[in-house]
Amino acid sequence: MQELRFNPITGEWVIVSTATQRRPVRPSNVECPICPGGMEFPDVESYDIVVFENRYPSLLRNPPEVESNGIFKKKRAFGVCEVIVYTKDHNSSLSRMPLGQIEKLIRVWKDRTRDLYSLDFVKYVFIFENRGKEVGASLSHPHGQIYAFPFVPKRIEAKVEAMRKWYEENESCPVCDVLKNEDGERTVYENDSFIALVPFYARFPYEVHIYPKRHISTILELSEDEESDLARSIKTVVMKYDKLFDQEFPYMMMLFQSPLKEDVDHFFHFHIEFNPPKRDKDKIKWMASVETGTWTFINPVAPEEAARRLREVKV
Amino acid sequence: MRIFGRKVSKEFFSIIDKNFSLNWSIEKVHLGFSVKGFVRGKPGKVEVLRMDAPKRVLAGGWQSWSNFKVLDTKGQTFKSRDWKYRDTPVPSEKHLSDYFIAFEGTVVGFLSSRFAHPYFEVEDDQIVAYLDYFDSYFEEYIPIEPLVVLEAKSTPLILEIYSRMIAKENHVVLRKEKPIGWSSWYQYFSNLEWPDVLMNLEMAGEFPIEVFQIDDSYEMDIGDWYETKPGFPSLEIIAETIKERGFKPGIWLAPFSVSESSKIFKEHPNWVVKENGKPKVAYRNWGKDVYALDLSNEEVLNWLQDLFYNLRKMGYEFFKIDFLFAGAIPGERKTAESPIASYKRGMKVIKKVAGGAFILGCGAPLVPSAGLVDGMRISEDTAPYWDAENEEISAKYALRNGITRYFFHKRLWYNDPDCLILRDDSRLSKEQRKIYALVSGTLDGLIFLSDDLRKLSEDERNLLKKALDISGGKPRVENVMDDSMRYEITSRGSRSGNVHLVVDLESSEYKLEVDNSFRIDKREKLRDDGRKFYFYGEVS
Repeated sequence: MQELRFNPITGEWVIVSTATQRRPVRPSNVECPICPGGMEFPDVESYDIVVFENRYPSLLRNPPEVESNGIFKKKRAFGVCEVIVYTKDHNSSLSRMPLGQIEKLIRVWKDRTRDLYSLDFVKYVFIFENRGKEVGASLSHPHGQIYAFPFVPKRIEAKVEAMRKWYEENESCPVCDVLKNEDGERTVYENDSFIALVPFYARFPYEVHIYPKRHISTILELSEDEESDLARSIKTVVMKYDKLFDQEFPYMMMLFQSPLKEDVDHFFHFHIEFNPPKRDKDKIKWMASVETGTWTFINPVAPEEAARRLREVKV
Repeated sequence: MRIFGRKVSKEFFSIIDKNFSLNWSIEKVHLGFSVKGFVRGKPGKVEVLRMDAPKRVLAGGWQSWSNFKVLDTKGQTFKSRDWKYRDTPVPSEKHLSDYFIAFEGTVVGFLSSRFAHPYFEVEDDQIVAYLDYFDSYFEEYIPIEPLVVLEAKSTPLILEIYSRMIAKENHVVLRKEKPIGWSSWYQYFSNLEWPDVLMNLEMAGEFPIEVFQIDDSYEMDIGDWYETKPGFPSLEIIAETIKERGFKPGIWLAPFSVSESSKIFKEHPNWVVKENGKPKVAYRNWGKDVYALDLSNEEVLNWLQDLFYNLRKMGYEFFKIDFLFAGAIPGERKTAESPIASYKRGMKVIKKVAGGAFILGCGAPLVPSAGLVDGMRISEDTAPYWDAENEEISAKYALRNGITRYFFHKRLWYNDPDCLILRDDSRLSKEQRKIYALVSGTLDGLIFLSDDLRKLSEDERNLLKKALDISGGKPRVENVMDDSMRYEITSRGSRSGNVHLVVDLESSEYKLEVDNSFRIDKREKLRDDGRKFYFYGEVS
């Protein structure tokens, strides 16, 4: 079964996808399906970066027909789910990869963003990486994913609306205003084009956001220099994460670009969020009832303190 | 600011006039407010908004060909050109603009034109926005054409937002494909012969052309579309021949026009819009008086439906429908509906029957066509020469409109900046041909060639490739309010990267910068299970 179901209580769409149930759970190195020669690349000796359509997609280019029944509203599960393999090296990661490889990855993200938005049913392209079993990553080989949604997801909609409201009241973008007022206390890393910080409003203990200093709304606008600076920012943040507790740090990395088909670029500021679930070396910050049920987060570490600790990690 | 003659002080209002009643309200919208409401009776010409006139406004523009540029509001007197209704359906000396105006940081504009024609006049030191319902009478309440006032620091930004609002109001659904094509017009004009078509068809395979479109010249007369002129095969054979060569057959016609000499006019003199009971000349062209079909007449609509049904059946997949403004000229019609409502009725018939094909509007009233065309010419014709006196037909002024109306693109339809003329035997210099191609590419509009394809050298083919390479982005004209003919155009995320193009239409100079931030090698592979794989790597 593959379909979208509408929840009239929250106004959100839910993807019902029984195909994802068949996904493997963290196979070992020898049977990694995305290494060269693995299940996905049986005849491939090597590759640089490769993107492919998920074997177990939640959304489909040609989904089955559905029938709504009164209040039980359904839609066809149009969309594309892709896997991006960052490198052929199974044991690499964003912290260990050469900068040039991450720059290339950014160009691949750009290409996928443009390609996927050219599909008429795509309303939002979401690029992300789940790293570590703590956030449900099913493979340890460095990879990310892309979901091309047939609707603008609820949290993106909330961000768009909040930024729109701020713009209407202040005639400026809220992220630009945040950056104007940051004094360095929450800064983790900074270069010419980007700043990585634990935001004032962090929800997770070691949450880091990467903001471009220039107001841009999508990665499509990045110049070559900015690509380099973004690659360095991502690598630095993940290196700091890995050294913080001397372990491969689990996280959810998410790219928030504006919905390209809407005219919201003037107030939507592109950003990357790292949402790590750890609150200490051996402790997890769980998404429990309050967080899941009310969207209200209780952060046990002051963002300023988290920023200080991450800043002090030398990489 | 006064709206419907009153100071804005509360949210809901009613006006009871001897001829009509009108209820209206103000709503907040992103970056401004809107005025919406309902009217019934015989409203005629209704004042909607009155405001102090800024010194300069970006204005002008009932239809595709109308010049759209910065105007001085002082001493501005509207001059109707050779055809009375070519520039507006409501010509008067006070006329300033149709649908909307923009000035630094502000756009004042109407979101639809369903029944009334919205426009702006200059009266002393004030600009007045009107809705003209002509002689129409409405038994029941109908929605007025909503007006918005938007303000922000960036004028291009609010023009883009205004355009998106028009799209939403008119339920625009953008077509998936934006075809690349060839048109016969700017090489052969009305001298096209069948061997020219065959020769270009043979050559077209060397170019990335999908649509092969025959322009004006194949037909016996304006209105007698089924009959081809001597030397041309039947319409069926033309379509078949194009299709056999692997292209989508495209055809030009002026579906709302009939010439004085046409059979259709002679057989059905009552099918046209009249004045004082006699056929009214809509415009003159081809050395003839041309009349406008009365699109309120069911017989005419049936004829129109049959025409497009038959053309679709013959295999045509692209229609360039021209001189459309004729369908909306004021005059006497069979029913009392407004010229605008009548125009929309005709367009809806075409869309319904031919909607599977690509519909390119030309000479078309802009806002009433939103949602009813896939592409829209947004300028006067281009030409195989650069300049002309009094801003008459020329490449330079066609391109200016392509630039100043950039914000409609991909919001209301695909903008058509008119064809590229790449051959070197025209009166266009190499730089001028380059400028046209590069601006058209950066602005991401439709790209159609109009040359004898045998004449195109390697350089000219490369120019086409370059224009296509820098298309696909999100364009913006940063200084759209500039009246110096020097424009700064950016495009984010084109096929090649971010584009920055500065172009001076007076001196024919340009500077193009592409940051190449998209350069990456990609190989696509389709697996047996139907999944797509993309292998990326360094550009070799």
